[in-house]
Amino acid sequence: MAPSAHPRAMAPARPGRTRTAPPQTAEGWYAQPRMRRYLLFDATGLVYLLLGFLMLRVTWALGSGRVAWDRVLANFENPLYVAFHLLSLVAVVFVAVRFFRLFPKAQPPRIGPLKPPPAPMIHGLLYAAWIAITLLFVTILCGGLFA
Amino acid sequence: MSDVERKTFVVTRFDPDRDEVPKTQSYEVPCQPDWKILDALNFIKDHIDASLSHRWSCRMAVCGSCGMNVNGEPKLTCKVPISDYSDTIEVAPLSNFPVIRDLVVELEGFLEKLEAVKPFILRAKELSLDEGTTRQTPEELEEFKQFSMCINCMLCYAACPVVANEPEFLGPAAIALGHRYSLDTRDEGAAVRSEIFRGEGTVFSCSYANECSEVCPKNVDPAAAVNQAKFNSVIDWATRLVLPRGGEK
Repeated sequence: MAPSAHPRAMAPARPGRTRTAPPQTAEGWYAQPRMRRYLLFDATGLVYLLLGFLMLRVTWALGSGRVAWDRVLANFENPLYVAFHLLSLVAVVFVAVRFFRLFPKAQPPRIGPLKPPPAPMIHGLLYAAWIAITLLFVTILCGGLFA
Repeated sequence: MSDVERKTFVVTRFDPDRDEVPKTQSYEVPCQPDWKILDALNFIKDHIDASLSHRWSCRMAVCGSCGMNVNGEPKLTCKVPISDYSDTIEVAPLSNFPVIRDLVVELEGFLEKLEAVKPFILRAKELSLDEGTTRQTPEELEEFKQFSMCINCMLCYAACPVVANEPEFLGPAAIALGHRYSLDTRDEGAAVRSEIFRGEGTVFSCSYANECSEVCPKNVDPAAAVNQAKFNSVIDWATRLVLPRGGEK
């Protein structure tokens, strides 16, 4: 056992008559497959943080004129940037698939007289919306719209 | 007796009168092939070391007393067969709970959290006997029935990463049981519980790790309850904000 839980986790408001050992966490909990998946999910937050900084930099360059913008675009051809964007894509897909899997059961059984559709239909709608939005953005970025 | 297999049990021990911190002790146990983990612990208690303390009662996954960490995973020890494990099996008290002694954890903190969600039917006015019984259709029962199957075994608390880090978090079982009553058509306390669920350390502390549902031995889905309660709390808050008198009829 490793003492990695919060020392007051699940402690009563007033201590009991007997002295207790502080709450513990199972040795190697982070190595269990389920926890590894969850930690990976949490770790994607770092990728989004870096993406946020990148967005700020790109926005700043956009407001600083043509030269700054071209320099940012040239930087994006660097293999490190390409690798980071691939990592971001994997992180986004991983989080989206996890979210889609858990989304249906988070729906209340009903809102007034309305009941949510069955889980497979919700899954289908989520994936259809994802594909449609992706196609829309690809079309815009390729100059198919607003060219 | 030829099928007897010797296994090593590495059991966490803690004596509050002597030990500063928990330690482990190993026992060689001759296990029958059909034994569960609890059978081996009872064998240790009866034949090897009478000082071992552990909780158990029904031996059929109904009472929820014998939850422990087996090889680091929260399990009902009366439900998991010894044959699922290799020659060395580690048994420890449930994670995230103060330890009273050996494998026995302090449950008072959970009972306080459970009380906070009002896990009972709330009504503005009780029906008199003359008014007859309160009817509920099978469809209405189905909406909350799974949440009624919780046996308070605390495995979900041991698995939850938020419980490990936020002492004030109400936790999966308490929220699931509160939500169960909010879904019950006989209950009129959903708004009261929604207000409780909007407070500090409640449903919005949940990061939807889904670990609680993964480890539940009764196939209850506490993660669904917690996240449905989030949804209902937001709807309730928005209704009160937008509609006159909070949408009261």
